[in-house]
Amino acid sequence: MADKSGINLDVINLDIRGQICPACLLISLKEINKHKGLLRDGEANLIVKTDHRDATRTIPDAAIAMGYAVFVEKKKGYYEITVGRKDEDQKA
Amino acid sequence: MKTKKHENHTYIIESEDMERKNEMLLQYIKEKVNQLLQIMGTKPLRDEELNDESLIAIDPIGIIAESFEQVLDHLKESNRQLQLARDYLQAVFDTAGVGISIIDRDLKIIKCNEKQKELLVNGVSQIEGRHCYEVYCGIDSPPLICPAIETLEMERAVFLKEVTKKGKVFQIVTSPLRDRSGSISGVIEVSMDITEKKRALEAMCQSEKLAAVGQLAAGIAHELNNPLGNILGYAKLLLMEQDTTEFQKNRLEVIIEQAKRGSSIIKGLLEFSHQKMPVFERISLNACIELALRSLSDEIRSNNIEILTGLGTVPYVMADPKQMEQVIYNILLNAIQALEGKGGIVEIKSEALNGSVEVTIKDNGPGIPKEHLSRIFEPFFTTKPVGKGTGLGLSICAEILKKHSSNICVESEVGKGTKFSFRIMGGVTGNV
Ligand SMILES: Nc1ncnc2c1ncn2[C@@H]1O[C@H](COP(=O)(O)OP(=O)(O)OP(=O)(O)O)[C@@H](O)[C@H]1O
Ligand SMILES: [Mg+2]
Repeated sequence: MADKSGINLDVINLDIRGQICPACLLISLKEINKHKGLLRDGEANLIVKTDHRDATRTIPDAAIAMGYAVFVEKKKGYYEITVGRKDEDQKA
Repeated sequence: MKTKKHENHTYIIESEDMERKNEMLLQYIKEKVNQLLQIMGTKPLRDEELNDESLIAIDPIGIIAESFEQVLDHLKESNRQLQLARDYLQAVFDTAGVGISIIDRDLKIIKCNEKQKELLVNGVSQIEGRHCYEVYCGIDSPPLICPAIETLEMERAVFLKEVTKKGKVFQIVTSPLRDRSGSISGVIEVSMDITEKKRALEAMCQSEKLAAVGQLAAGIAHELNNPLGNILGYAKLLLMEQDTTEFQKNRLEVIIEQAKRGSSIIKGLLEFSHQKMPVFERISLNACIELALRSLSDEIRSNNIEILTGLGTVPYVMADPKQMEQVIYNILLNAIQALEGKGGIVEIKSEALNGSVEVTIKDNGPGIPKEHLSRIFEPFFTTKPVGKGTGLGLSICAEILKKHSSNICVESEVGKGTKFSFRIMGGVTGNV
Protein backbone atom coordinates (compact mmCIF):
# COMPACT_ATOMS: atom_id res chain seq x y z
CA MET A 1 0.00 0.00 0.00
CA ALA A 2 2.67 2.46 1.02
CA ASP A 3 4.46 1.88 -2.27
CA LYS A 4 1.41 3.15 -4.14
CA SER A 5 1.67 6.48 -2.38
CA GLY A 6 4.32 9.06 -3.07
CA ILE A 7 5.15 12.68 -2.52
CA ASN A 8 4.58 14.66 -5.66
CA LEU A 9 5.45 18.27 -4.89
CA ASP A 10 2.69 19.10 -2.49
CA VAL A 11 0.41 16.21 -3.29
CA ILE A 12 0.60 12.91 -1.51
CA ASN A 13 -1.22 10.29 -3.53
CA LEU A 14 -2.78 7.26 -1.98
CA ASP A 15 -4.51 4.84 -4.27
CA ILE A 16 -6.59 2.29 -2.40
CA ARG A 17 -8.92 1.28 -5.16
CA GLY A 18 -9.92 -2.36 -4.75
CA GLN A 19 -9.43 -2.31 -0.99
CA ILE A 20 -12.18 -3.45 1.31
CA CYS A 21 -13.87 -1.02 3.55
CA PRO A 22 -12.60 -0.83 7.12
CA ALA A 23 -9.09 -1.32 5.89
CA CYS A 24 -9.59 1.72 3.63
CA LEU A 25 -10.08 3.88 6.64
CA LEU A 26 -7.16 2.39 8.53
CA ILE A 27 -4.82 2.80 5.58
CA SER A 28 -5.92 6.36 4.99
CA LEU A 29 -5.59 7.22 8.67
CA LYS A 30 -2.14 5.74 8.71
CA GLU A 31 -1.18 7.93 5.77
CA ILE A 32 -2.64 11.01 7.40
CA ASN A 33 -0.76 10.25 10.61
CA LYS A 34 2.44 9.74 8.72
CA HIS A 35 2.24 13.11 6.99
CA LYS A 36 0.48 15.07 9.68
CA GLY A 37 3.29 17.64 9.86
CA LEU A 38 3.08 18.49 6.15
CA LEU A 39 -0.71 18.35 6.10
CA ARG A 40 -1.10 20.53 9.19
CA ASP A 41 1.33 23.13 7.85
CA GLY A 42 -0.49 23.21 4.54
CA GLU A 43 2.61 22.11 2.68
CA ALA A 44 0.90 19.11 1.17
CA ASN A 45 -2.52 17.69 0.42
CA LEU A 46 -3.32 14.03 0.64
CA ILE A 47 -5.37 12.70 -2.24
CA VAL A 48 -7.02 9.35 -1.60
CA LYS A 49 -8.46 7.46 -4.55
CA THR A 50 -11.06 4.90 -3.55
CA ASP A 51 -13.86 3.03 -5.25
CA HIS A 52 -15.57 2.26 -2.00
CA ARG A 53 -18.62 4.43 -1.51
CA ASP A 54 -18.62 3.99 2.27
CA ALA A 55 -15.11 5.35 2.44
CA THR A 56 -16.34 8.70 1.11
CA ARG A 57 -18.16 9.01 4.42
CA THR A 58 -15.83 7.33 6.89
CA ILE A 59 -12.58 8.97 5.74
CA PRO A 60 -13.96 12.52 5.63
CA ASP A 61 -15.71 12.06 9.01
CA ALA A 62 -12.51 10.89 10.63
CA ALA A 63 -10.34 13.53 8.96
CA ILE A 64 -12.74 16.34 9.90
CA ALA A 65 -12.73 15.14 13.50
CA MET A 66 -8.96 15.37 13.34
CA GLY A 67 -9.22 18.96 12.19
CA TYR A 68 -8.58 18.76 8.47
CA ALA A 69 -10.46 20.19 5.54
CA VAL A 70 -11.86 17.49 3.30
CA PHE A 71 -13.12 17.65 -0.23
CA VAL A 72 -14.74 14.72 -2.05
CA GLU A 73 -14.97 14.55 -5.81
CA LYS A 74 -16.61 11.86 -7.93
CA LYS A 75 -14.39 10.72 -10.78
CA LYS A 76 -15.03 8.09 -13.43
CA GLY A 77 -15.39 4.84 -11.51
CA TYR A 78 -13.84 6.06 -8.29
CA TYR A 79 -13.83 8.88 -5.75
CA GLU A 80 -11.09 11.30 -4.96
CA ILE A 81 -10.87 12.50 -1.36
CA THR A 82 -8.58 15.46 -0.73
CA VAL A 83 -7.40 16.02 2.83
CA GLY A 84 -5.61 19.25 3.70
CA ARG A 85 -5.29 22.14 6.04
CA LYS A 86 -8.38 24.08 7.07
CA ASP A 87 -8.43 27.62 5.72
CA GLU A 88 -9.14 29.31 9.02
CA ASP A 89 -6.05 27.68 10.52
CA GLN A 90 -3.85 29.63 8.14
CA LYS A 91 -3.87 32.76 10.28
CA ALA A 92 -3.39 30.83 13.58
CA MET B 1 9.37 -43.01 31.22
CA LYS B 2 6.64 -42.50 33.56
CA THR B 3 7.93 -39.17 34.49
CA LYS B 4 8.78 -38.29 30.87
CA LYS B 5 5.36 -39.19 29.71
CA HIS B 6 4.06 -37.19 32.45
CA GLU B 7 6.24 -34.29 31.41
CA ASN B 8 5.12 -34.62 27.82
CA HIS B 9 1.58 -34.56 28.86
CA THR B 10 2.11 -31.48 30.86
CA TYR B 11 3.79 -29.77 27.92
CA ILE B 12 0.90 -30.55 25.64
CA ILE B 13 -1.50 -29.27 28.14
CA GLU B 14 0.54 -26.09 28.59
CA SER B 15 0.83 -25.58 24.83
CA GLU B 16 -2.90 -26.02 24.36
CA ASP B 17 -3.43 -23.62 27.14
CA MET B 18 -1.12 -21.03 25.52
CA GLU B 19 -2.89 -21.37 22.22
CA ARG B 20 -6.22 -20.86 23.87
CA LYS B 21 -4.85 -17.84 25.68
CA ASN B 22 -3.49 -16.39 22.43
CA GLU B 23 -6.78 -17.05 20.72
CA MET B 24 -8.52 -15.18 23.50
CA LEU B 25 -6.08 -12.30 23.25
CA LEU B 26 -6.49 -12.07 19.49
CA GLN B 27 -10.22 -12.13 19.86
CA TYR B 28 -9.96 -9.43 22.45
CA ILE B 29 -7.77 -7.27 20.20
CA LYS B 30 -10.12 -7.75 17.24
CA GLU B 31 -13.06 -6.80 19.36
CA LYS B 32 -11.33 -3.67 20.61
CA VAL B 33 -10.21 -2.75 17.09
CA ASN B 34 -13.79 -3.08 15.94
CA GLN B 35 -14.97 -1.00 18.83
CA LEU B 36 -12.47 1.71 17.92
CA LEU B 37 -13.41 1.51 14.26
CA GLN B 38 -17.02 1.95 15.23
CA ILE B 39 -16.10 5.06 17.14
CA MET B 40 -14.29 6.29 14.03
CA GLY B 41 -17.54 5.77 12.17
CA THR B 42 -16.87 2.69 10.13
CA LYS B 43 -18.11 -0.88 10.09
CA PRO B 44 -16.45 -3.60 12.17
CA LEU B 45 -13.95 -5.82 10.43
CA ARG B 46 -15.16 -9.08 9.09
CA ASP B 47 -12.99 -12.08 9.93
CA GLU B 48 -11.78 -12.52 6.38
CA GLU B 49 -10.94 -8.82 6.01
CA LEU B 50 -8.07 -8.84 8.37
CA ASN B 51 -6.42 -12.09 9.29
CA ASP B 52 -4.28 -12.51 12.36
CA GLU B 53 -1.05 -11.51 10.61
CA SER B 54 -2.30 -8.37 8.98
CA LEU B 55 -3.88 -7.41 12.28
CA ILE B 56 -0.38 -7.08 13.68
CA ALA B 57 1.20 -5.82 10.44
CA ILE B 58 -1.27 -3.02 9.85
CA ASP B 59 -1.21 -2.05 13.51
CA PRO B 60 -4.78 -0.75 13.63
CA ILE B 61 -4.64 0.15 17.31
CA GLY B 62 -1.51 2.18 16.74
CA ILE B 63 -3.10 3.98 13.79
CA ILE B 64 -6.27 4.72 15.65
CA ALA B 65 -4.39 5.85 18.75
CA GLU B 66 -2.36 8.28 16.69
CA SER B 67 -5.49 9.51 14.93
CA PHE B 68 -7.18 10.00 18.26
CA GLU B 69 -4.26 12.09 19.37
CA GLN B 70 -4.95 14.37 16.41
CA VAL B 71 -8.68 14.39 17.15
CA LEU B 72 -7.95 15.48 20.71
CA ASP B 73 -5.50 18.16 19.58
CA HIS B 74 -8.06 19.44 17.17
CA LEU B 75 -10.75 19.45 19.85
CA LYS B 76 -8.48 21.32 22.24
CA GLU B 77 -7.70 23.91 19.59
CA SER B 78 -11.35 24.22 18.59
CA ASN B 79 -12.30 24.65 22.20
CA ARG B 80 -9.68 27.35 22.67
CA GLN B 81 -10.94 29.18 19.60
CA LEU B 82 -14.55 28.81 20.69
CA GLN B 83 -13.70 30.17 24.11
CA LEU B 84 -11.90 33.09 22.48
CA ALA B 85 -14.79 33.78 20.12
CA ARG B 86 -17.20 33.54 23.03
CA ASP B 87 -15.13 35.98 25.09
CA TYR B 88 -15.00 38.44 22.18
CA LEU B 89 -18.72 38.14 21.60
CA GLN B 90 -19.48 38.56 25.27
CA ALA B 91 -17.30 41.67 25.39
CA VAL B 92 -19.05 43.14 22.37
CA PHE B 93 -22.42 42.16 23.81
CA ASP B 94 -21.69 43.78 27.15
CA THR B 95 -19.99 46.95 25.99
CA ALA B 96 -22.26 47.71 23.05
CA GLY B 97 -23.78 51.16 23.22
CA VAL B 98 -27.11 49.66 22.26
CA GLY B 99 -29.43 47.37 24.15
CA ILE B 100 -29.41 43.82 22.81
CA SER B 101 -31.90 41.12 23.73
CA ILE B 102 -32.38 37.61 22.54
CA ILE B 103 -36.03 36.66 22.69
CA ASP B 104 -37.58 33.26 21.99
CA ARG B 105 -40.69 32.43 19.96
CA ASP B 106 -42.92 32.84 23.03
CA LEU B 107 -41.55 36.37 23.49
CA LYS B 108 -39.60 35.30 26.55
CA ILE B 109 -36.23 36.89 27.14
CA ILE B 110 -33.39 34.41 26.85
CA LYS B 111 -30.59 36.87 27.42
CA CYS B 112 -29.98 40.61 27.38
CA ASN B 113 -26.92 42.79 27.75
CA GLU B 114 -26.05 45.35 30.40
CA LYS B 115 -27.07 48.30 28.24
CA GLN B 116 -30.52 46.85 27.72
CA LYS B 117 -30.91 46.51 31.49
CA GLU B 118 -29.76 50.07 31.98
CA LEU B 119 -32.23 51.34 29.37
CA LEU B 120 -35.42 49.50 30.13
CA VAL B 121 -35.14 47.25 33.12
CA ASN B 122 -35.64 49.23 36.25
CA GLY B 123 -35.23 47.17 39.32
CA VAL B 124 -36.44 43.85 37.89
CA SER B 125 -33.98 41.26 39.13
CA GLN B 126 -35.07 38.15 37.24
CA ILE B 127 -35.22 39.01 33.55
CA GLU B 128 -34.41 35.78 31.76
CA GLY B 129 -37.50 33.70 31.15
CA ARG B 130 -39.94 36.57 31.49
CA HIS B 131 -41.95 38.09 28.67
CA CYS B 132 -40.27 40.97 26.91
CA TYR B 133 -43.44 43.07 26.79
CA GLU B 134 -43.77 42.69 30.54
CA VAL B 135 -40.18 43.68 31.34
CA TYR B 136 -39.48 46.20 28.57
CA CYS B 137 -42.89 47.72 27.83
CA GLY B 138 -44.43 47.31 31.27
CA ILE B 139 -47.65 45.73 29.97
CA ASP B 140 -49.44 42.42 30.58
CA SER B 141 -50.01 41.31 26.99
CA PRO B 142 -48.15 41.81 23.71
CA PRO B 143 -48.70 45.29 22.22
CA LEU B 144 -50.51 45.76 18.90
CA ILE B 145 -47.45 47.05 17.17
CA CYS B 146 -44.43 44.98 18.11
CA PRO B 147 -41.40 44.56 15.85
CA ALA B 148 -40.47 41.26 17.52
CA ILE B 149 -43.85 39.72 16.70
CA GLU B 150 -43.67 41.08 13.16
CA THR B 151 -40.23 39.55 12.70
CA LEU B 152 -41.47 36.17 13.95
CA GLU B 153 -44.50 36.29 11.67
CA MET B 154 -42.97 37.78 8.55
CA GLU B 155 -39.58 36.07 9.05
CA ARG B 156 -37.68 39.23 8.24
CA ALA B 157 -35.94 42.11 9.96
CA VAL B 158 -38.11 45.00 11.13
CA PHE B 159 -37.04 48.55 11.81
CA LEU B 160 -39.04 50.80 14.08
CA LYS B 161 -38.06 54.41 13.55
CA GLU B 162 -39.41 55.73 16.78
CA VAL B 163 -41.13 54.24 19.76
CA THR B 164 -41.58 55.53 23.28
CA LYS B 165 -41.11 53.14 26.17
CA LYS B 166 -40.99 54.13 29.79
CA GLY B 167 -40.50 57.77 28.88
CA LYS B 168 -37.57 57.18 26.55
CA VAL B 169 -37.53 57.28 22.78
CA PHE B 170 -36.04 54.29 20.96
CA GLN B 171 -35.15 53.08 17.55
CA ILE B 172 -35.54 49.32 17.38
CA VAL B 173 -34.32 46.73 14.93
CA THR B 174 -35.43 43.13 15.25
CA SER B 175 -33.91 40.35 13.20
CA PRO B 176 -34.79 36.70 13.03
CA LEU B 177 -32.59 34.30 14.96
CA ARG B 178 -32.23 31.08 13.03
CA ASP B 179 -31.11 27.71 14.31
CA ARG B 180 -28.87 25.32 12.41
CA SER B 181 -31.72 24.00 10.31
CA GLY B 182 -32.59 27.54 9.22
CA SER B 183 -35.92 27.78 11.00
CA ILE B 184 -36.60 30.79 13.19
CA SER B 185 -36.06 30.09 16.85
CA GLY B 186 -36.37 33.63 18.12
CA VAL B 187 -35.60 37.29 17.65
CA ILE B 188 -32.60 39.49 18.26
CA GLU B 189 -33.79 42.89 19.32
CA VAL B 190 -31.47 45.89 19.27
CA SER B 191 -32.68 49.08 20.92
CA MET B 192 -30.99 52.41 20.52
CA ASP B 193 -31.87 55.23 22.89
CA ILE B 194 -32.51 58.30 20.73
CA THR B 195 -34.14 60.42 23.43
CA GLU B 196 -31.28 62.90 23.57
CA LYS B 197 -30.77 62.91 19.83
CA LYS B 198 -34.41 63.66 19.27
CA ARG B 199 -34.43 66.42 21.83
CA ALA B 200 -31.35 67.99 20.23
CA LEU B 201 -32.96 67.74 16.81
CA GLU B 202 -36.14 69.36 18.04
CA ALA B 203 -34.17 72.14 19.70
CA MET B 204 -32.35 72.69 16.43
CA CYS B 205 -35.61 72.84 14.49
CA GLN B 206 -36.94 75.24 17.06
CA SER B 207 -34.02 77.61 16.74
CA GLU B 208 -34.11 77.36 12.96
CA LYS B 209 -37.78 78.22 13.07
CA LEU B 210 -36.99 81.13 15.32
CA ALA B 211 -34.28 82.39 13.02
CA ALA B 212 -36.53 82.17 9.96
CA VAL B 213 -39.37 83.89 11.78
CA GLY B 214 -36.93 86.52 12.93
CA GLN B 215 -35.79 87.41 9.45
CA LEU B 216 -39.29 87.50 8.06
CA ALA B 217 -40.60 89.54 10.94
CA ALA B 218 -37.77 92.04 10.79
CA GLY B 219 -38.52 92.74 7.14
CA ILE B 220 -42.28 93.10 7.51
CA ALA B 221 -42.17 94.98 10.76
CA HIS B 222 -39.89 97.58 9.34
CA GLU B 223 -42.12 98.13 6.31
CA LEU B 224 -45.27 98.33 8.44
CA ASN B 225 -43.89 100.70 11.01
CA ASN B 226 -43.92 103.76 8.75
CA PRO B 227 -47.47 103.48 7.41
CA LEU B 228 -48.71 102.74 10.91
CA GLY B 229 -46.87 105.77 12.22
CA ASN B 230 -48.55 107.89 9.56
CA ILE B 231 -52.01 106.56 10.40
CA LEU B 232 -51.39 107.34 14.03
CA GLY B 233 -50.03 110.79 13.28
CA TYR B 234 -52.84 111.83 10.95
CA ALA B 235 -55.50 110.45 13.25
CA LYS B 236 -54.05 112.49 16.10
CA LEU B 237 -54.02 115.60 13.88
CA LEU B 238 -57.66 115.06 12.95
CA LEU B 239 -58.55 114.67 16.60
CA MET B 240 -57.13 118.13 17.24
CA GLU B 241 -59.33 119.75 14.55
CA GLN B 242 -61.92 122.15 15.98
CA ASP B 243 -64.90 121.03 13.92
CA THR B 244 -64.82 117.25 14.50
CA THR B 245 -68.01 115.94 16.01
CA GLU B 246 -68.15 113.83 19.15
CA PHE B 247 -69.11 110.85 16.98
CA GLN B 248 -66.09 111.40 14.71
CA LYS B 249 -63.82 111.78 17.75
CA ASN B 250 -64.92 108.41 19.11
CA ARG B 251 -64.12 106.76 15.82
CA LEU B 252 -60.76 108.49 15.61
CA GLU B 253 -59.93 107.22 19.07
CA VAL B 254 -60.67 103.68 17.92
CA ILE B 255 -58.33 104.23 14.96
CA ILE B 256 -55.59 105.55 17.25
CA GLU B 257 -56.03 102.70 19.72
CA GLN B 258 -55.91 100.07 16.99
CA ALA B 259 -52.88 101.68 15.36
CA LYS B 260 -51.15 101.66 18.73
CA ARG B 261 -51.96 97.99 19.12
CA GLY B 262 -50.56 97.36 15.71
CA SER B 263 -47.32 99.08 16.50
CA SER B 264 -46.98 97.28 19.81
CA ILE B 265 -47.26 93.98 17.97
CA ILE B 266 -44.61 95.21 15.58
CA LYS B 267 -42.45 96.24 18.48
CA GLY B 268 -42.73 92.69 19.83
CA LEU B 269 -41.82 91.22 16.48
CA LEU B 270 -38.83 93.51 16.16
CA GLU B 271 -37.68 92.71 19.65
CA PHE B 272 -38.02 89.06 18.89
CA SER B 273 -36.31 89.28 15.56
CA HIS B 274 -33.50 91.60 16.44
CA GLN B 275 -32.08 88.94 18.71
CA LYS B 276 -30.17 91.68 20.42
CA MET B 277 -27.07 90.53 22.20
CA PRO B 278 -27.48 91.34 25.87
CA VAL B 279 -25.38 94.12 27.28
CA PHE B 280 -24.19 92.67 30.56
CA GLU B 281 -24.14 94.90 33.60
CA ARG B 282 -23.98 94.39 37.30
CA ILE B 283 -27.65 94.66 38.12
CA SER B 284 -30.25 93.86 40.71
CA LEU B 285 -33.02 91.53 39.59
CA ASN B 286 -35.20 92.92 42.35
CA ALA B 287 -35.03 96.29 40.63
CA CYS B 288 -36.11 94.69 37.34
CA ILE B 289 -39.08 93.12 39.12
CA GLU B 290 -40.11 96.49 40.60
CA LEU B 291 -39.89 98.14 37.17
CA ALA B 292 -41.96 95.44 35.47
CA LEU B 293 -44.60 95.63 38.19
CA ARG B 294 -44.77 99.39 37.80
CA SER B 295 -45.31 99.14 34.02
CA LEU B 296 -48.14 96.71 34.62
CA SER B 297 -49.83 98.61 37.46
CA ASP B 298 -52.85 99.59 35.30
CA GLU B 299 -53.51 96.00 34.24
CA ILE B 300 -53.09 94.77 37.78
CA ARG B 301 -55.56 97.27 39.13
CA SER B 302 -58.17 96.92 36.40
CA ASN B 303 -58.16 93.13 36.60
CA ASN B 304 -58.49 93.11 40.34
CA ILE B 305 -55.34 91.13 40.94
CA GLU B 306 -53.53 90.78 44.21
CA ILE B 307 -49.76 90.83 43.91
CA LEU B 308 -47.69 89.14 46.60
CA THR B 309 -44.06 90.08 46.43
CA GLY B 310 -41.32 88.24 48.25
CA LEU B 311 -38.09 89.84 47.21
CA GLY B 312 -35.22 88.25 49.05
CA THR B 313 -31.74 89.40 49.82
CA VAL B 314 -30.11 88.33 46.61
CA PRO B 315 -26.70 88.88 45.03
CA TYR B 316 -26.15 91.18 42.11
CA VAL B 317 -26.05 89.43 38.76
CA MET B 318 -24.41 90.10 35.42
CA ALA B 319 -27.28 90.57 33.00
CA ASP B 320 -28.93 92.96 30.56
CA PRO B 321 -31.37 94.98 32.72
CA LYS B 322 -33.75 95.85 29.84
CA GLN B 323 -33.96 92.23 28.78
CA MET B 324 -34.45 90.97 32.34
CA GLU B 325 -37.25 93.43 32.83
CA GLN B 326 -38.83 92.22 29.61
CA VAL B 327 -38.69 88.58 30.66
CA ILE B 328 -40.37 89.37 33.97
CA TYR B 329 -42.88 91.67 32.25
CA ASN B 330 -43.90 89.01 29.71
CA ILE B 331 -44.37 86.31 32.32
CA LEU B 332 -46.27 88.65 34.61
CA LEU B 333 -48.48 89.83 31.79
CA ASN B 334 -49.35 86.22 30.90
CA ALA B 335 -50.24 85.55 34.53
CA ILE B 336 -52.44 88.63 34.65
CA GLN B 337 -54.10 87.70 31.35
CA ALA B 338 -54.71 84.18 32.66
CA LEU B 339 -56.59 85.66 35.63
CA GLU B 340 -58.42 88.23 33.51
CA GLY B 341 -61.95 88.94 34.58
CA LYS B 342 -61.98 86.57 37.54
CA GLY B 343 -59.24 88.17 39.57
CA GLY B 344 -56.72 86.19 41.55
CA ILE B 345 -53.31 86.11 43.15
CA VAL B 346 -49.93 86.48 41.49
CA GLU B 347 -46.92 85.75 43.62
CA ILE B 348 -43.49 86.98 42.61
CA LYS B 349 -40.40 85.96 44.49
CA SER B 350 -36.64 86.32 44.26
CA GLU B 351 -34.33 84.01 46.15
CA ALA B 352 -30.61 83.43 46.51
CA LEU B 353 -29.73 79.88 45.52
CA ASN B 354 -26.12 78.61 45.60
CA GLY B 355 -24.75 81.88 44.34
CA SER B 356 -27.42 82.43 41.72
CA VAL B 357 -30.76 84.18 41.86
CA GLU B 358 -34.02 82.41 41.21
CA VAL B 359 -37.08 84.36 40.20
CA THR B 360 -40.46 82.66 40.53
CA ILE B 361 -43.78 83.94 39.24
CA LYS B 362 -46.83 81.98 40.33
CA ASP B 363 -50.51 82.46 39.60
CA ASN B 364 -53.66 80.66 40.67
CA GLY B 365 -55.21 80.81 37.24
CA PRO B 366 -56.59 78.04 35.00
CA GLY B 367 -53.24 76.35 34.37
CA ILE B 368 -51.85 75.00 31.11
CA PRO B 369 -53.04 71.66 29.75
CA LYS B 370 -50.33 69.01 29.30
CA GLU B 371 -50.59 68.98 25.52
CA HIS B 372 -49.82 72.71 25.41
CA LEU B 373 -46.92 72.68 27.85
CA SER B 374 -44.31 71.63 25.31
CA ARG B 375 -45.51 74.22 22.81
CA ILE B 376 -45.88 77.44 24.78
CA PHE B 377 -42.30 78.49 24.02
CA GLU B 378 -42.82 78.16 20.27
CA PRO B 379 -43.11 81.47 18.48
CA PHE B 380 -46.71 82.23 17.48
CA PHE B 381 -48.17 79.60 19.76
CA THR B 382 -51.09 81.25 21.45
CA THR B 383 -54.45 80.24 22.86
CA LYS B 384 -55.62 83.80 23.02
CA PRO B 385 -58.16 85.24 20.56
CA VAL B 386 -56.91 86.90 17.40
CA GLY B 387 -55.76 90.42 18.16
CA LYS B 388 -55.16 89.59 21.80
CA GLY B 389 -51.92 87.63 21.69
CA THR B 390 -49.29 87.04 19.04
CA GLY B 391 -47.74 84.08 20.83
CA LEU B 392 -44.32 85.70 20.99
CA GLY B 393 -44.08 86.58 24.69
CA LEU B 394 -42.63 83.34 26.01
CA SER B 395 -40.43 82.65 22.98
CA ILE B 396 -38.82 86.05 23.53
CA CYS B 397 -38.28 85.14 27.19
CA ALA B 398 -36.71 81.82 26.25
CA GLU B 399 -34.39 83.47 23.73
CA ILE B 400 -33.25 86.13 26.17
CA LEU B 401 -32.60 83.61 28.93
CA LYS B 402 -30.68 81.42 26.53
CA LYS B 403 -28.34 84.33 25.87
CA HIS B 404 -27.91 84.59 29.62
CA SER B 405 -26.91 80.91 29.78
CA SER B 406 -30.14 80.15 31.52
CA ASN B 407 -33.49 78.68 30.69
CA ILE B 408 -37.09 79.04 31.67
CA CYS B 409 -38.95 76.44 33.67
CA VAL B 410 -42.66 75.92 33.89
CA GLU B 411 -44.84 73.85 36.17
CA SER B 412 -48.57 73.88 35.76
CA GLU B 413 -51.64 72.07 36.90
CA VAL B 414 -54.97 72.58 35.22
CA GLY B 415 -57.40 74.22 37.62
CA LYS B 416 -54.69 75.05 40.16
CA GLY B 417 -52.33 77.49 38.50
CA THR B 418 -48.99 77.98 36.83
CA LYS B 419 -45.48 78.64 38.05
CA PHE B 420 -42.70 80.05 35.85
CA SER B 421 -39.15 80.34 37.11
CA PHE B 422 -35.66 81.06 35.89
CA ARG B 423 -32.22 81.35 37.39
CA ILE B 424 -29.44 83.81 36.68
CA MET B 425 -25.91 83.16 37.84
CA GLY B 426 -24.72 85.68 40.38
CA GLY B 427 -21.49 86.81 38.79
CA VAL B 428 -20.45 89.38 41.36
CA THR B 429 -20.20 89.59 45.08
CA GLY B 430 -22.31 91.80 47.29
CA ASN B 431 -25.99 91.63 48.08
CA VAL B 432 -28.69 93.97 46.82
N1 LIG C 1 -49.66 81.99 33.44
C1 LIG C 1 -50.28 81.32 32.45
N2 LIG C 1 -51.43 80.64 32.70
C2 LIG C 1 -52.05 79.97 31.70
N3 LIG C 1 -51.60 79.89 30.42
C3 LIG C 1 -50.47 80.53 30.12
C4 LIG C 1 -49.74 81.26 31.10
N4 LIG C 1 -48.65 81.78 30.50
C5 LIG C 1 -48.68 81.40 29.21
N5 LIG C 1 -49.77 80.65 28.97
C6 LIG C 1 -50.14 80.01 27.69
O1 LIG C 1 -49.02 80.07 26.83
C7 LIG C 1 -49.38 80.65 25.58
C8 LIG C 1 -48.18 81.36 24.99
O2 LIG C 1 -47.79 82.46 25.76
P1 LIG C 1 -47.01 83.64 25.09
O3 LIG C 1 -46.73 84.66 26.11
O4 LIG C 1 -45.84 83.08 24.36
O5 LIG C 1 -48.00 84.15 24.01
P2 LIG C 1 -49.35 84.98 24.24
O6 LIG C 1 -49.41 85.45 25.64
O7 LIG C 1 -50.46 84.12 23.78
O8 LIG C 1 -49.14 86.18 23.23
P3 LIG C 1 -48.18 87.44 23.46
O9 LIG C 1 -47.40 87.20 24.69
O10 LIG C 1 -47.35 87.48 22.24
O11 LIG C 1 -49.12 88.56 23.61
C9 LIG C 1 -50.52 81.53 25.92
O12 LIG C 1 -51.33 81.78 24.80
C10 LIG C 1 -51.26 80.74 26.99
O13 LIG C 1 -52.05 79.75 26.40
MG1 LIG D 1 -47.83 86.54 26.51
